[in-house]
Amino acid sequence: MKSNGLSRELAGIVGADGVLWRSEDLMLYEYDALSSMRRPDAVVFPRTTEHVVQIAKLALRHNLPLVARGAGTGLSGGSVATEGGILLGFSRMKQILEIDLENQRARVQPGVVNLDLSMAVADDGYYYAPDPSSQKACTLGGNVAENSGGPHTLAYGVTTNHVLGLEIVLPDGEVIHTGASHWDRPGYDLTGVFVGSEGTLGIVTEATVRLSRKPEAVKTLLAIYNQVVGATRTVAAITARGITPAALEMMDGFCLRAVEEATHAGYPMDCAAVLLIEVEGLKEAVEEHADEIEAVCQENLAREVRRAKSAEERDLLWKGRKTAFGALGRISPNYYVQDGVIPRTRLPEMLEFIGSLEKKYDLRIGNIFHAGDGNLHPLLMYDERDRAQTARVIKAAKEIILRCVEMGGSITGEHGVGLEKSDLMPLIFSDVDLDLMGRVKNLFNPQGRLNPGKLLPTGKMCGELRGGLLGGGAP
Amino acid sequence: MTLAVDSLRAGLDELVGQRKLLLDIADLGAFSVDGKIPDGAVAPSTAEQVAAILHYAGEHHLAVIPCGNGTKLAMGNSPRRYNVALSLKEMNRVIHYEPADLTITVEAGMAFGAFQDLVGKNGLWLPLDPRGGREASIGGIIAANAAGPLRQGFGGPRDMVLGLKIASPDGKIAKTGGRVVKNVAGYDLGKLLTGSFGTLGVMVEASLKLFPKPQERATFSMWVGTLGLARELRRSILRSPVDAMRLVLLDSTAARLLDDSTQAPGRPELELWIELGGSNRVIERCTHDLRQLASAVDAKLVRRDGAEKAWEHVSNLPLWLRPKYPDLTVLKAALPLVASEEFLSHAQQEAESERIALACFAQVGVAIIHLCALQETLGANVAAWVIRLRQAAADLGGTLVIEHGPLDLKSNVDVWGAGGDDLEAMRKLKVVWDPLEVLSPGRFVGGI
Repeated sequence: MKSNGLSRELAGIVGADGVLWRSEDLMLYEYDALSSMRRPDAVVFPRTTEHVVQIAKLALRHNLPLVARGAGTGLSGGSVATEGGILLGFSRMKQILEIDLENQRARVQPGVVNLDLSMAVADDGYYYAPDPSSQKACTLGGNVAENSGGPHTLAYGVTTNHVLGLEIVLPDGEVIHTGASHWDRPGYDLTGVFVGSEGTLGIVTEATVRLSRKPEAVKTLLAIYNQVVGATRTVAAITARGITPAALEMMDGFCLRAVEEATHAGYPMDCAAVLLIEVEGLKEAVEEHADEIEAVCQENLAREVRRAKSAEERDLLWKGRKTAFGALGRISPNYYVQDGVIPRTRLPEMLEFIGSLEKKYDLRIGNIFHAGDGNLHPLLMYDERDRAQTARVIKAAKEIILRCVEMGGSITGEHGVGLEKSDLMPLIFSDVDLDLMGRVKNLFNPQGRLNPGKLLPTGKMCGELRGGLLGGGAP
Repeated sequence: MTLAVDSLRAGLDELVGQRKLLLDIADLGAFSVDGKIPDGAVAPSTAEQVAAILHYAGEHHLAVIPCGNGTKLAMGNSPRRYNVALSLKEMNRVIHYEPADLTITVEAGMAFGAFQDLVGKNGLWLPLDPRGGREASIGGIIAANAAGPLRQGFGGPRDMVLGLKIASPDGKIAKTGGRVVKNVAGYDLGKLLTGSFGTLGVMVEASLKLFPKPQERATFSMWVGTLGLARELRRSILRSPVDAMRLVLLDSTAARLLDDSTQAPGRPELELWIELGGSNRVIERCTHDLRQLASAVDAKLVRRDGAEKAWEHVSNLPLWLRPKYPDLTVLKAALPLVASEEFLSHAQQEAESERIALACFAQVGVAIIHLCALQETLGANVAAWVIRLRQAAADLGGTLVIEHGPLDLKSNVDVWGAGGDDLEAMRKLKVVWDPLEVLSPGRFVGGI
């Protein structure tokens, strides 16, 4: 089917100004933050659930793939239309439908930007807790699809812990409502399965999410180390002491220098690693925990522990952290970021291992990650024009992932499986495990037209990283 | 055709060995569900045996109901069929435990009490107070997503399960999730199993997130005159920086059941109980805040020392009350936060006009309300009362289930209520996972 005919039909549903079909327009939608892949046949911008229903039925009639896309900030290729078809853009479904502070809930359309929701309730003392680094751009629909995390999910949980109910359009156009705005609705927790299903089970057209009360007090600490191992030991020690900071992030010296040059946040240029630690809650509890954490940092040979003295200073430190990936883009043409997870006690060992790979493969690998929950983000720097170097990056990346698995960890903590890691799934799941997932997929998406090629292994390249897909982008 | 009882027992015997096969009819009685006694009961000791039993059951069209220590067998609708009780109580080992990671993997039959004792040695706990208490099994707690009043501070099992190993209804061993605290690889099937009441798989192992135990704990009760004032107090507490671990509003009957030592005249209609946790300094500060919030609604703040027993009762209503009231009925309403007090008022009026003795335990911070009809024998009017209350809950945007009730009631009223527009998807899910209806047929929502 030609794009022209398809776009006319789509325009019949959403209006002519809601469809893109010229190749120069479609080019903008052929990639996400992982990589570029292929162009969709058309991009359509629904305004209502009914539009999405009509579009789903149209895709069904023409047997076309249907791929939902939020802001395209995903890091695993989740919103790339690998087999063409219709790409649903949600930039016209970005209304906060209801803010219900009495019930600590909000009802939103999928295109609402993550940070916009927090801003909308900030004056009333509330916020939406999951805070991916891309929160200024990424959408709640995308967050639901990917079960996104962020620095502050250490204490408060990831997206799935904050989504109560969903409105979903299934690939045949049927609309279902899962969950509720209250606890314990009887029945299977379908919401729990749709969150993190990466757009392969249904298209979310509305979400009911929890709003959290802003803490009374916040303290942000910066612990500075001359040796990486001091920082990683501190992380394990803080966890072992039973302190759960709101956030516990690590940046190594290599990343820091890039960040500092880009943001001038006041990070030291000459250290091996820093920990950015935040404690929140009751004033008294925050003071106690900050003191205790400072003591743990000192015990583990921190050179210095600074406390942010003002909100501005705190914001600057976080700006450095949240824009770090962009800063790294200034010093390397390409980088590949991984998302493996390991038990927190194994961090010292893992960072040492990653350091050894730098030597083994003659690469630069930066580390900037959610240390508190063991969620690594090693950044392997390369220049894609250098094919030998690219090949070494692939090998090193594979060694890191295999080590994560050996340590009892996971291949992805928050970026999702997507296109990038679908063929790594057999590293942690057996055929039986994958078969159960497959049954769920076949139930909701029997023809596989919904976001094809994502999440479950395609069987084409078992256990291999797809070399051609390496990319780099926003955090 | 189902097997004759004798050959069923012989078949199971072959699978798990004589020692594990409980044949005694007296033993079987312990596994009865709504008066239905299984033909056999098995207590396997490995995941492979569990899988083999399910496979065997599928081949012979047998229905299996899994259980841990049987503390929640009375929940759910009556099973359509019931041949084999599958007890996980022999499976209670620790598979992996690294206290410093705040994670643990245990077999699903481990008793909650033993579990808490184990992790308690490292200053950790699983902050749950499920029905069944120390007797409840880890697998049973997850299967029922059983959360008590501690949900206020910590959420429920759903938020604590990192990964599961299950025996699937077709007799295979599968895992979902993992044992690290953050993981988005693949569909989160653990969510499906959590709260599935043994209809999708038999949990054999669970990996869980652990939490540091609070240094100190303190319980207070606030004496409140009216539901309107209780509402004000609930709102002001939830808006304050005070983080409650538990927050339960009791009507006067419930309060007297918990503590009949205070018979002083002037004891109020309602008591709001709150538990705080943290350092002494934190508790002092919260107490100070609470006193101010309470005085704003003319409520008196009373410290309750040794409240642990009372909290145990509140999370274990059937176990606690049933000896006294054999036909006890416990309803659980789940509502939007704002609706708690309105629903309570409605329930009280309905009970009064039906002359049903009612005790209310309302977790008002999460809007989970337990209504107990305190009856020695079931009244003929109770079924209609339940249906009206269910409608009232629905009108307020909530749901109502029968958590415990005599068979007479359960055979007249569906314990779960009607499903929504996703019920069909749930039914299909059951069919694709358990086409032979091996696991707990009929006990769950919509006849699943």
